Order: sequence, then structure tokens, then C-alpha cells
Amino acid sequence: MATKSQEPVIGDGSLHIGDRVVYPNQGICRITGVETKHIAGQNWEVVTLSREEDGATVMVPKAKVMGIGLRKVADVAAIDRVFDELSTPNLDPQLDWKVRHRENADRMTGGGLFGTVEVLKGLHALSRVRPLPQKERELYDNARHLLVGEIAAAMNIPLHVAEDNLDYALWPPEGMTRKGKALPPATLGPPSPARAAVDDLGFDDEEMGAEETTTTAAAPAAQESDDDEEEKEAAAPAAAKKTAAEKPKAAHKPEHAPPRREKPAPAAAKKAKTAHAPAKKPAAAKKAAARKPAPKTPARKPAAKRPVAKAKAKAKR
Amino acid sequence: MIRIVTLSEFPPDVIDFVTRRLHAAYGMGCELEGEGEIPNAAMDDEQSAYDAVKAVDDMDDDVALYADDKILYLTAEPLTAPAGPMGRGPVDGYAQYGGGKAIATAHGISDRGVPLEIGLAKRAAHYVGHLWDLHHCFDPRCAMHPGWSPGFAAYPEVALCLFDREKSERKIKLGST
Repeated sequence: MATKSQEPVIGDGSLHIGDRVVYPNQGICRITGVETKHIAGQNWEVVTLSREEDGATVMVPKAKVMGIGLRKVADVAAIDRVFDELSTPNLDPQLDWKVRHRENADRMTGGGLFGTVEVLKGLHALSRVRPLPQKERELYDNARHLLVGEIAAAMNIPLHVAEDNLDYALWPPEGMTRKGKALPPATLGPPSPARAAVDDLGFDDEEMGAEETTTTAAAPAAQESDDDEEEKEAAAPAAAKKTAAEKPKAAHKPEHAPPRREKPAPAAAKKAKTAHAPAKKPAAAKKAAARKPAPKTPARKPAAKRPVAKAKAKAKR
Repeated sequence: MIRIVTLSEFPPDVIDFVTRRLHAAYGMGCELEGEGEIPNAAMDDEQSAYDAVKAVDDMDDDVALYADDKILYLTAEPLTAPAGPMGRGPVDGYAQYGGGKAIATAHGISDRGVPLEIGLAKRAAHYVGHLWDLHHCFDPRCAMHPGWSPGFAAYPEVALCLFDREKSERKIKLGST
């Protein structure tokens, strides 16, 4: 049961129905109304929001609107200060992951514009030193997503233009200036180590001689992965070695992280099976042997089978 | 399905290369749909380049898009974009984030010492990535790394980083088709 009230006061009175607001960690929303919901035997006044990105409905108890950090979309002057901040290089990223994690979590939960900027800038500076771990990579992407959305909403520009501008500040191209001051052009950062497993797109046998150009950068990574595979092969049973040596490509492909390909050719699939099957069998056989001791006496055999065995033996004679 | 419409003349082997790389990067079908023209209204005020945003929004084509089909326009003309808080910077394409249409240009690829087919494929993968809500990536070897940075020429392979690959896979799986 829901009833709509008219001209309600939301938060400290600065928010109104139809306003575009920023919900911490969710992005840009529009206030669609205030409703009274009957939940668990109590009447709750909730503010309903519609997330612009996907139209999802978010309901916030009216009393908690200010507590969760709901705020209006930043104005143009604030966005200008954001770009001032972004275009100042951060040369001292926080290297202690515990401190960094706590600070970044607080900033994101707070939902402030400049908190998000600091998260993005700090992680960007760290990414120039070394690749980010998975969780921080996600945080970096979330911060970027929220910031791009807010810049686009505040400046009324497309999201793509907002992101390009964000990166003109973070990775300045040649000749980029900010308020008359030239920004130092971006330099090459460290590549992610996970790339070694992903590089092979499986076009080895294809056209245009692209290998000549692409392998120059990927060569060290490919060599590393080859070395790893050699070590693994050395540890594998001799039977697996033989089949793998016969079909080296088919044996190596499944070891790599999966470049997206639709379906492997049937022949390649067969090769892969033959190359892997023997490696698994000995281990499985050993386990089975460990669990079930071999029957020593024929006394365990069911009595019903005896006549059959005898009959067979007679037939052989 | 990723559908490619050429707005300039490209050698067939270049288009073939781009379609194959897009297919490999996103695991989706990719094909050449046909040819088109950039609307004259998209020419910017200085008459020196086409406004990428207008070009995509005003494009008059009869390509039928089904569900999460994406359409990518390829051109050799210089592009520009509306000025933002940082002013105007290099523009090599435009994409409607989470939408269906994107444009990428081959203009300026040769100046960076990258072969045409590789540079165009990398830009195509970049803008199709934006159509799947991917943001710019700090990994210089990823196709989502900003196109103006030194990574574009230093790592010419056309591939996504692990994070972007997984994110695009999730988006594609959630797609209505």
C-alpha cells in the first residue's frame, strides 16, 4: 500500500522532486517522488529515485537521505576544480595497501565528488608504478564510472567526451594545457603482467603478416609462457609427454587463458583430448587404488556369479 | 553482431583484418554491412573536420539493428568533438556509451608509425568497447588505453586486458540476445 504526498521536504530542504542527485556508489539518479510504504507493520516514508544509467528504482528512508550522502550533482565551478586537481600530477601514491584500502573505502562510501577524484587519482598514480590488483582495479573502474557520469551530467556533454577530457588531464597528450600552463605529456606505464596469458589471439596461421609487427612487443611474454610450459611438461608423466610432443599446439592451447574464439576446430579438439587424457589417468588410477584395496580372495564375490564362472571355464576347456 | 559501415574507401584486406580482430576481441560475429556517407551537417564550424558526435547522431542509414547489435562506422576523415573542461584534444572516434553506434577514423594512424590495419583494428576495438560500457584502461597494451598515449604505437597488438575482457563478457552475457 503506497500513498503519494505532495511537495514534501526532502533532506535539509535543498532537494526536490525531479532533481538530479548523486547516490554514493550508484551514480546519477533522479528523485521521482516521496511515498509512504507499509513495511513490516510500520509506515515508512521513502524517497524514490530512478537511476539514470539503467532506470533501476532505489528507495531511501526519508530520515536517512542526508546520512547516506545523497547530494545534488556538482556545478560547473566544482567540475572545474576537479580538473585542476586531476591535472596536478600525484607523484606520491600510497604504497601501504591497508591504509590505501581503508582511505579509499571511506572516500567511496562518503560519496563526495573530491573523495572520488582522490580515489581515482591515487589509483592512477599507483598504476603508473605497478599494475593494480583485481579489487583495486574494480575500484578504479567504479571511481572512473562515477566521475565520468557526474562530469557529463554537470557539463551536459556526452559521456564519451567527459571521459576523454578526464584522460586529457590524467594522460595529457602532446601540447595539452590547463589554464595556460602546459601539462607534461604522458609516458608509457607498466603493462599488466596478466597480459602474458591473454596475448595469443590464435591468429598464428592467419593472413597479412601481422605476426611480424605484433610479436615484437609480445615476444618476451610469449617466451616466458613457453618456459613455464616446459617446466610443467617436465613434471608430467612420460605417457603424456609423448602425446604432447606429437601434438604440441593442441597440448599447449588449453594452458593459456582463453582468447575468445567461437569453437575449436573438431580436429584440434580431438588432439587436445588425446594430449590431456593420459596425464590425468595415472593420478586417477592411483587414487582409486588407494581407496579400494584390490580383492585378494574370491570369497567376496557374490555366490550367484560362481556358476557362471564355472560355466565359462568349462566352455573354454 | 557488430556491423561495420565504411564511410570512406578502405582496402578489402584491411576491413577483413578489422572484422577478424573484433570477432576475436569480443567473441561476437562481425561483418561488413555496407557503405555510407558522413552527413554534411556534421562538418564543424571551421570546416576542417567532422564533429564525431553529430556524425553518429545524424547518420542516416538503413542498417537494421536487432537487440544488442552494434554498428561501427569507419572513416578516413579527421574528426573532432565538442570542447570539454580541458578544451579540445585529439579525437580518433566517438561512441555512445552503452548504446549502439560508434565511429572510428583512420586519420593520423600513419603519422604514428602503426600499420593501417592494426591501428584501425585497435581503434575499432576501443570504440566497440565503449559501446559495451568499458572505460579507458591504464594498461598500455589494452585496446581500451587512450589512443593518444604512447602505448598505442608501442604495443600494436589488438587485445583487451583481462579485466576489460571479463567485464565485456559479463555485459554481453546480460544482453538481450
